[in-house]
Amino acid sequence: MVDREEDRRPASAVSEPLLRASGISKRFGGIVALSGVHLDVHAGEIHALMGENGAGKSTLMKILSGVYSSYDGSLEVEGVPVSFASVRQAEAAGIAIIHQELNLVPELSVADNIFLGREPRIAGLLIDRRRSRRAARPLLDRLGISLDPDARVAGLRVGEQQLVEIAKALSLNARVLIMDEPTSALSPAECERLFRVIRQLAKSGVAIIYISHRLDEVMQLADRVSVLRDGKHVLTKPIADLSQDAIIAAMVGRDLLATDYSTPSETGPVLLSVRDLKLSKPHRQGWREVLHGVSFDLHAGEVLGIGGLLGAGRTEILESLFGASNGRVDGSIVLDGADVEIRSPREARRLGLALVTEDRKMQGLHLEASIVDNVALPLVSHLSRFGLRLFRRERVLSERAVKSLGIRCSGVDQAAGRLSGGNQQKVVIGKWLATRPRILLLDEPTRGIDVGAKREIYDLIFRLACEEGMAIVVVSSEMPELLLLSDRILVMAQGRQRGTLSRSQATEERIMQLAAPRSAKAAA
Amino acid sequence: MSGVLSLISRTKLYWGLIAIFLLGVLSSPVSSKGNNIFLSYGNLLDVLRQVSITGLIATGMTAVIITGGIDLSVGSLMAICTVVCAMLLTVEGDTTAALFSLPMAGIVALAIGFSIVRFVIVNLEKSKSEEQSGRDVALDRTRGLVIPLAAGAVLAGLLLWFLLPQVPTKFGVLGVLIVAPSVGLCFGAINGLLIVGGRLQPFIVTLAMMVTALGIARLTAGQNNAVLPVYTGSNAVAEFDNLRSLVFGIIPAPGLFFLAAIVLYAAVLRLTPFGRYVYAIGGNEEAARLSGIPTGKVKVATYAISGLLAGIAAVLYVAQYRQGKPDAGAGLELDAIAAVVIGGTSLMGGRGSMAGTFCGVLIFGLLSNILQLHNINSNLQLVLKGLIIVGTVLVQERNAADLMNFLRLPARRPAQKGASVERRRQEETRTLEET
Repeated sequence: MVDREEDRRPASAVSEPLLRASGISKRFGGIVALSGVHLDVHAGEIHALMGENGAGKSTLMKILSGVYSSYDGSLEVEGVPVSFASVRQAEAAGIAIIHQELNLVPELSVADNIFLGREPRIAGLLIDRRRSRRAARPLLDRLGISLDPDARVAGLRVGEQQLVEIAKALSLNARVLIMDEPTSALSPAECERLFRVIRQLAKSGVAIIYISHRLDEVMQLADRVSVLRDGKHVLTKPIADLSQDAIIAAMVGRDLLATDYSTPSETGPVLLSVRDLKLSKPHRQGWREVLHGVSFDLHAGEVLGIGGLLGAGRTEILESLFGASNGRVDGSIVLDGADVEIRSPREARRLGLALVTEDRKMQGLHLEASIVDNVALPLVSHLSRFGLRLFRRERVLSERAVKSLGIRCSGVDQAAGRLSGGNQQKVVIGKWLATRPRILLLDEPTRGIDVGAKREIYDLIFRLACEEGMAIVVVSSEMPELLLLSDRILVMAQGRQRGTLSRSQATEERIMQLAAPRSAKAAA
Repeated sequence: MSGVLSLISRTKLYWGLIAIFLLGVLSSPVSSKGNNIFLSYGNLLDVLRQVSITGLIATGMTAVIITGGIDLSVGSLMAICTVVCAMLLTVEGDTTAALFSLPMAGIVALAIGFSIVRFVIVNLEKSKSEEQSGRDVALDRTRGLVIPLAAGAVLAGLLLWFLLPQVPTKFGVLGVLIVAPSVGLCFGAINGLLIVGGRLQPFIVTLAMMVTALGIARLTAGQNNAVLPVYTGSNAVAEFDNLRSLVFGIIPAPGLFFLAAIVLYAAVLRLTPFGRYVYAIGGNEEAARLSGIPTGKVKVATYAISGLLAGIAAVLYVAQYRQGKPDAGAGLELDAIAAVVIGGTSLMGGRGSMAGTFCGVLIFGLLSNILQLHNINSNLQLVLKGLIIVGTVLVQERNAADLMNFLRLPARRPAQKGASVERRRQEETRTLEET
């Protein structure tokens, strides 16, 4: 592999910043994304970069990593001015980026992905599989994961795929490693492992630029913090001089009020009663059970949280209820006292269920279509008369959604793909609220959206439960979110229901205890 | 200024059409009387007549492609239908064609009767129920199933009562106009059912259908490459000639069918929930399914309609060329796909329009016409057609500058000017706004 970087790493880099960006500005058409931003990163430091969505973090990182080649301002690596025309050039200078959205070829193996474009070769022609496999193993070991280098990436879980990304960046012997929300899809255990690796990398002299929305992570991990707001540099300080609240205030420009979201202690009647819900998915030749009997009652006006690690079966519960799983569902679902069988999302919608999926881009939105078209999609047929769409009604419906959810857009005709993450999420929620559901299933409702939008979505969930008596199920990987929102928390592990905690009982520790996977013997 | 530019870029399709039209006018040979031959009424009608068959096929293809699919079987489906049509017109008694086409027509009548009556019942119910409930109306068994089924059965009965007596004699114009498209629709629906039910790639399924249907067409026709001539007035009804003559002396019948089909389908795509679903499926099928859209039904319908239009094109083909034959539609699917793509419809699905397809079809038609007027070798015409496809798509996708950069070898920095950079900037804006 590439060893030449090793001897180019001089000790003199300690005093001088390894990477310095000064006066960086970038505009897209009429929009100013960055104006005069400074960033110094020293060897061996973990530098957290924070800011709300749209603050310009991603743009800055894309400039640093050579994705964007036209901008104002200057970049220096070890005091030498540089400009990167491509990602390759940035990589050659020792700057590697791990994007939030995975950049892997699903059909290739782990090792092939790590060395994609840089495959070890035999006689310059044939790919040397054995060598790349051998080279991949220590990289994976360094991450502390027992992944088979020959495993197909498509068969891995999202968390594992993320780790492959990281291994790929490690293989570049990067001196500056940029991580854009690396933990957004990882389980707490995987996060811990990642943090260990990050600290170890920093100790070995790599500079880490760490972008995250999760304050607790940053407080735990970072040496220094820089905050961007609206494309401008707001502060850079050692973490010791900052509190969480100070960072939030710098990011948002205002103080967030802590709110208590507990719904009234008396909840409404049982709306949905699930008994022994099982789900089997097609697996190789046969079927594999991924949910082993889940039972719970859902009351009107209640928020039920579902906690657990990635792959514990949380999403599968929602999919089974909504008729959206590609598998066999067993067990009884009683809705309003009547036994129902939900075989398709269409039937689920008819029964008053709504599912806001985890991945809004893949499963929630038609990105090229307008807000109207997205919001009105489930109801287009319902709003039409004798086969003709009633465009005015569709508009009224979506304008109402835009107004009541506070979707920030230039108008309801704006394409959904051009909205920020938080506003896209609100469009998806608005689409489902328009169908007037009685049961709202939310899968990671605030994943990848900024603090302000998160708060708005929490308010909305609370309002829907309290004022409209909607029954809400929230699946979330973020403990504070789960604890904040849920009246009760059902904890899943390995497709089994491990327990249910009431609001007063629930703490992060208790949830973690229940969510921790047990060895095969203990589980049986 | 930018408003003007964006207007030009949005309407560039029409500019292409206008440009090729002007090219035709300016380069046209002039008749002995000093008239511009290209602009003569007769010539323009010829163009319309020539594009009609491809145009009908391309119309059906557009919706299929917008859902993110593709239909390679249309040429072969048209071939079957020309054989069926020619056979019913010219051969008496229970031929192979009559044997399988009549049951198909019956099934189609049943399905159509069922759908129409159910549609009416649902909509009556909808206008009765409170409009803001936000839920679909649910029909009970009688009104949801029994009544529509009965209506379908009645319609099928009526149709067969009309068609069966024509078997021992020969079929009339109306008869073949009903039966041939029904055959196309059935085969198209089979495409759709396999794609949806078997979760198979549209490319594979319709490729298989393309081969199968060609085989069926040949088996039906009797011998390989058998041509079934249709002589109106001698071995077929004289009125069949109406399908190739001018209607009201203004417009050729095939052109009328094409225009009616494309306008109607454009309206369906634009104005009905079905149309919205077609775009939604192409844009994000998973999101559409999870929104409770009947994605399967919609997809089956697009393939069925594609087959139906191939069937109509087949009848017009028989009228136009006075014959039905198994290789009637050879290569037609590719012409249709090319026209759709030139019209700006994305093969990835979710984006496109009938207006674009109309322009695409006309650009092709006018081009061949111009080349014919200049007596240019037909093989050279093929080369030019290919260039036109690549050229227009490069302009459509605004990738021309990228190609230039690519050809100038990687040594150079990416160009800082030009359309592609501007577009990249727009895309950067988009990703910025997404994150």
